[in-house]
Amino acid sequence: MRVVGARVAVGRRNLFSERRRGLLGVAGTAAALLLVLAVGAVFDGAMRQITRYIDMQPAQVFVSQLGVRNLHMASSSIPLDALEAIETLPGVTSVAPILFAQDGLETGGGRRLSYVIGYEPGLGGGPAEVETGDEPGPGEIVLDTATAASLGVDTGDPVGALGTSWSVSGLVGNLSNVANGAAFVQLDDFAAARGLPDTASYLLVATDRDPTSVAAAIERETDLSATTREAFSRSERALVSDMIGDVLRIVTGAAWLVGFAVVALTLYAATRSRLREIGVMKALGADRGALSRVVLTQAAWTVGAAVGVAAALTIGVGSLLARTSSPVTMALEPGALVRVAAISMVVGAAASVAPLVKVSRVDPASVFRR
Amino acid sequence: MQALAVRAEGLDRVFGEGDVQVRAVRGVDLEVRSGEVVLIMGPSGSGKTTLLSMLGAMLRPSRGRVEVDGVDLASLPEKRLPAFRARRFGFVFQDFNLLSALTVRENVELALNLAGVTGRPARERAEGLLRDLGLGERLGFLPEKLSGGEKQRVAIARALANDPAVILADEPTANLDSKIGHEIARLLRRIASAEGRSVVIVSHDTRLKDIADRVLWLEDGEFRSMSEMVTDPVCGMAVEREATPHFVSDGRTWFFCSTACRDEFATDPDRFSASATVARGGEG
Repeated sequence: MRVVGARVAVGRRNLFSERRRGLLGVAGTAAALLLVLAVGAVFDGAMRQITRYIDMQPAQVFVSQLGVRNLHMASSSIPLDALEAIETLPGVTSVAPILFAQDGLETGGGRRLSYVIGYEPGLGGGPAEVETGDEPGPGEIVLDTATAASLGVDTGDPVGALGTSWSVSGLVGNLSNVANGAAFVQLDDFAAARGLPDTASYLLVATDRDPTSVAAAIERETDLSATTREAFSRSERALVSDMIGDVLRIVTGAAWLVGFAVVALTLYAATRSRLREIGVMKALGADRGALSRVVLTQAAWTVGAAVGVAAALTIGVGSLLARTSSPVTMALEPGALVRVAAISMVVGAAASVAPLVKVSRVDPASVFRR
Repeated sequence: MQALAVRAEGLDRVFGEGDVQVRAVRGVDLEVRSGEVVLIMGPSGSGKTTLLSMLGAMLRPSRGRVEVDGVDLASLPEKRLPAFRARRFGFVFQDFNLLSALTVRENVELALNLAGVTGRPARERAEGLLRDLGLGERLGFLPEKLSGGEKQRVAIARALANDPAVILADEPTANLDSKIGHEIARLLRRIASAEGRSVVIVSHDTRLKDIADRVLWLEDGEFRSMSEMVTDPVCGMAVEREATPHFVSDGRTWFFCSTACRDEFATDPDRFSASATVARGGEG
């Protein structure tokens, strides 16, 4: 009767008996995977951050000029009388107009590209919560903390924006992304600074009904585009993703190639240095399956340990970044980690091919040669 | 009469083709019974290793057949040979060939794993064998921490792990000093006598003649009569009486493996002739 139980872990023991080589293999692979995970985490962090303003709005429908379904790099202009038409639609509980522009914030010490949003305090469209100071009054501006830090300003300091000067009245949590900061002024101040009376860029609609049907009703009754908050957010992410996707794919591809090369070299070196012992195992009765298990176990340990190390480092670096005022944020999504782990295993298996071929060619009778 | 464990008939093995063809083994017949120790000697390049590889199911003969425990190796497909080797043979090598990353116990346990025995049964069997061979205190040691004699005992424990009918030993004493070599030789003898296993040893070491039931001389791929063999009094190697360097001293003819041994002998014949032993069936 065949007895089933634990087997001697030859692959793992072989890999780590030469500790330096094993650790170098794991470290090299981890470095490549760290690059993959970090690039992905920065991207995911940027995506999360880039829609943070949209996602934090209580309004469920974003209304814009016909055909516009983005904030970033978009220009939308709506006559304010459309607001009254929308307010009368069934299910609409409130409508908040905002003015939006991308502009450079300037101080004596620096300049930072930023989303500048004009809103009516108390009506909606502003930041969720002002952490320090107050919401903007006339001639005042609220900055997100990362933007304020990058400009070196605090409450009470002057900042130039929209061609005029403002006084910082408050700071809100980090709404910056890699490209833009965030700043809030009163709607009327924005309109006056830009010469846009009776105009809004977007209308943020709150409803107590299904937002999709409300959005559809708005599009039926007006010549405007209406998009649910979730769809608007997705559209924003897709735009940015399209803009930086190619670069991201190139960097990630290069990182995968490095990872593959490191795993392949580690396994090949580990196998090559033990060809005689593999011959011994063959002489003792190891079949192809047993020897494949040895090589694949080495691959699994190398890749598995590397994924663990890379994930820990990514989380660590992300935590450190979060404690700074850096506009770069990292978000290691569980799905991304699972995906990287799965691809790593495939890479490990692919990297095992050459060692497996080498093993299959070892002559068991070679053990008698000296 | 003990049962036949190994039977080889008309074994031939040819390597290469055309002008570079080498016939390493030529028409070898061999029978080894259970409990028997057979020592195969011969000069380097005589075909000993090739013969051992064929007997151990690692190399297919070009002609002839090998039966082990009544199983014709030619009838086994290639993919079944590893399992057959694992269960029917134990191997002992000159260089011990222990896996350097595994402990003493794991080296023996691995042989059991390869035969399909895993987990606690494998561990207990390995530990039992090692304790029987006096290695109970070395179970967790890596091979690099062992002496040569201990390594060879681990290798013997590994060879015995799956209770094989046949032990094939390639120069098992070559890397050991005289005392330890003698211990290993006696151990192999005991394995044959007490446990009824067949032991086939390939070696240059003439000391192993003491424990062998039969000594065979392989030269140019063929078995030759041992009556034609004598022992070189300088190096102890078995050599053919004819066609080797010789030296006449006090009316007695001495034969050598090389002119170097003959010249060394000539410097002080009394010293070497006093310690020389007469080879089986021959004289020195």
